[in-house]
Amino acid sequence: MLSIPIERFTLDNGLRVNLSYDDATPVVAVNLWYGVGSRNEREGKTGFAHLFEHMMFQGSEHVPKNRHFELIERAGGSLNATTWFDRTNYFETVPSHHLELALWLESDRMGWILPAMTQEKLDNQRDVVMNEKRQRYDNQPYGDWDEWVQAMVFPESHPYHHTVIGSMEDIEAATLEDVADFFQTYYIPNNAVLTVCGDFSRDETLDLVERHFGGIAPGAEIPAIPGDPTLEPIIGETVRERVEADVPLPRVLIACRVPPYTDSEFYAADVAGSVLGTGRASRLYRSLVRERRLAKDVTSFVLPLTTGAGMLLVWATGYPDGDPGEIEAGLVEEIEGLTSVVDQEIERAIAVTETALVRQLEQVGQRADLVSMFDQLFDDPERLNSELERLRAVTPADVSSFVDRFLGADNRAVLTYVPMPQDTATPSVQ
Amino acid sequence: MSGSSRSVVPRAGPVRNFDFPTVHAEALDNGLQIRSVQVGRLPLVTTMLVLDAGEGLVDNSRAGLAVLTGDCLEGGTAKRTGAELAEALETIGAGLSVGTGWDSTTVSLSCMAERLDDAMGLLAEVILQPAFPGDEVERIRGQRLAAIRQREMDPVGIATDASRRLTYAEGVPYGRPLGGTAESVGPFTPDSAAEFVAGRYFPTGSGLVVVGDVDTGHVRSLVETHFGEWTGGAERQGEIEAEPRTRERGIVVVDRPDAVQSEIRIGHVGQARSTTQYFALRVFNTVLGGAFTSRLNLNLREKHGFIYGVRSRFLVRRGAGPWCVSTAVGTEVTANAVNEALSEITTMVEGGPTQEEVEAARDYLAGVFPLELETTGQIASRIAELLVYDLPDDYYGAYRDRIRSVTLDEASEAARRCIRPDEMTVVVGGDAKEVSGPLEELGWGPLTVEATP
Repeated sequence: MLSIPIERFTLDNGLRVNLSYDDATPVVAVNLWYGVGSRNEREGKTGFAHLFEHMMFQGSEHVPKNRHFELIERAGGSLNATTWFDRTNYFETVPSHHLELALWLESDRMGWILPAMTQEKLDNQRDVVMNEKRQRYDNQPYGDWDEWVQAMVFPESHPYHHTVIGSMEDIEAATLEDVADFFQTYYIPNNAVLTVCGDFSRDETLDLVERHFGGIAPGAEIPAIPGDPTLEPIIGETVRERVEADVPLPRVLIACRVPPYTDSEFYAADVAGSVLGTGRASRLYRSLVRERRLAKDVTSFVLPLTTGAGMLLVWATGYPDGDPGEIEAGLVEEIEGLTSVVDQEIERAIAVTETALVRQLEQVGQRADLVSMFDQLFDDPERLNSELERLRAVTPADVSSFVDRFLGADNRAVLTYVPMPQDTATPSVQ
Repeated sequence: MSGSSRSVVPRAGPVRNFDFPTVHAEALDNGLQIRSVQVGRLPLVTTMLVLDAGEGLVDNSRAGLAVLTGDCLEGGTAKRTGAELAEALETIGAGLSVGTGWDSTTVSLSCMAERLDDAMGLLAEVILQPAFPGDEVERIRGQRLAAIRQREMDPVGIATDASRRLTYAEGVPYGRPLGGTAESVGPFTPDSAAEFVAGRYFPTGSGLVVVGDVDTGHVRSLVETHFGEWTGGAERQGEIEAEPRTRERGIVVVDRPDAVQSEIRIGHVGQARSTTQYFALRVFNTVLGGAFTSRLNLNLREKHGFIYGVRSRFLVRRGAGPWCVSTAVGTEVTANAVNEALSEITTMVEGGPTQEEVEAARDYLAGVFPLELETTGQIASRIAELLVYDLPDDYYGAYRDRIRSVTLDEASEAARRCIRPDEMTVVVGGDAKEVSGPLEELGWGPLTVEATP
């Protein structure tokens, strides 16, 4: 049982605040989770949550452009933000004596960003984001896999059908009015969690939080998620796509719908995913990499999503002359074979997960992020301390029952990448 | 809170003291150095063995030998098959992590503290009794060859490998890819691995770093139990003569037809870790391209929107590693971005940073130092660096003061000495038919086009 200390408060404007003390190093993390992500984007606005995240670094009423970065770097801090399906997070870790600086910067952009928005800043960040998409997705071998997989696993009406980065057309079309709307709708204290973690003085920090965030007016309840967030538990068939692309090696990805993170059966899915493909003692590594040599690498993980379903993702990269059909058959054999999981395998999976979680907790930034996550998703930051118990409670029978219901041929999206023949100039999809 | 009082940047509170954790230094009779640090806030421990067995001492004809030998350690021991070894490690929640660089091989494990004895036993077994079974070595060599193939088609790999090759004279190890080539890795056998271990994995010249929830008073006897029987030593890996390929300007386009982006590398031979200007170099490079608010990033990203990110880095090694500015940019603005980058670099060399920039960079580097020492793994890596580069045990005690004492003159002088604009080679991995013309018009130097490998 973990015993991370967490104290939770709620300001009058609805901002949830968690304080988690740890004096190992004289540093402090400030972490904000806003309850908005790509799932909240409407048709024609894909990629906007992420573009907006970039705009949050372009200055606010009392902070000129670039000043946020300058001040944090000058203080010897680190900072960033990420956008995901269900949320957007912002974080900085600074030496403890600069805590107020981080709180002031975060509060200014929560309360006073609109007066600082200009067309020039939006144009600039649209270009930056389009370059990010080129660099991380379009110019990368297999870089478009999530676009394919999400479209296969989630129907068009579902908010996970489109990717977080969105489409170039939609990014290009974003306007200042969109920025203002989005901010007023989602960037409100009653849709956010603030966590402060590290070496700080409790009472002083509470005062600072109240002073900087307390005056920000709450907003209206956030609108329902667009589209149809309800889902059948499984896809209902095996869906396939085959992509001939400029990739060096064949790769087969298999994705399945699994129970959402907020469902108690998620933990059986998580354990099944670890037994399947985490580490060199996992089934996929042992079988496909070590023994049969069908794959040069294997990966498996479960995405802890909350809207209707999560996703188990497995992939194997073959050798240059590898047969994708054989790789797929090998993956399927191991996935279906999970009905026979034994205690020892579960113990190993949990031992590895435990080390990984405790290693995450070593850094106040990651610790704060986990506290914010448990608050935002479960309304219960303390849940961090009992997370391992929920994994430990999973039995071979739970895994077997999960596999029976979720990992059959009626719940599979199969995406196959095959290297383009050397003399073909343009990619094609079959 | 009223708008007017919000306009004032909050003042910093009282500084909290930070000292690099106390390092307990000792050695076994066989020469193995031991460094241990007690940090007990979480029940975790990281064990890191640092071997004087880097890729830098490997002949070009056998390039990749150190890396592949490290990879093959997972293949099994005299007592366990590869699969059994993996199971034993994961049963205690540990994973074997092997990192091979130009200067060393490090083998590390992190696990819950109560499992330290088992973990160290397994680490010793892997190092002292590796088995290199034929079928496992064959498999791992195959994986490495496939990884080499992947790298040859990866835009980042293509540009970086071309830049290194064009930076160093023929035959200098730093000019080749760290993991070797298909030709040099092809002949690798179990005997190659066994010979490399027999010739380079010794207690003398190696160090074992243990950081975490441990009693440092007990570490020596624990290490003695597992590593006491280990013997031997070899001559220390020497410094590499890092001759440049050229002292002229040039642009090389590595052609990737129809690429949507160009990967850009600008650089030349940089500095060794032992450079006396190390701290001044860190300061001016932070201003140039080592932080978000660096000149290169503010120009290329925040002003022009050409890129997502850019870095300027000195890869310091026992010999002079490369200095390299790297970024990726849309095809149509490639030449504009190269031009802006060249101009920022030249301006830095000619005018140096400003007093304000030097102060900001010093504050940043001194301030982030404790932020990078939160985890047992981060602390262990820092201590490993001392062993690899022969730095004194108390090195980090004075680290922040040495950063803070860099003057404007020293930073400017280091920029002038460490960057020579007239010797820079620009490598562009991108669509030659689109980017060559505009790049040639920059007039930077002769332009050549290469096909991808």
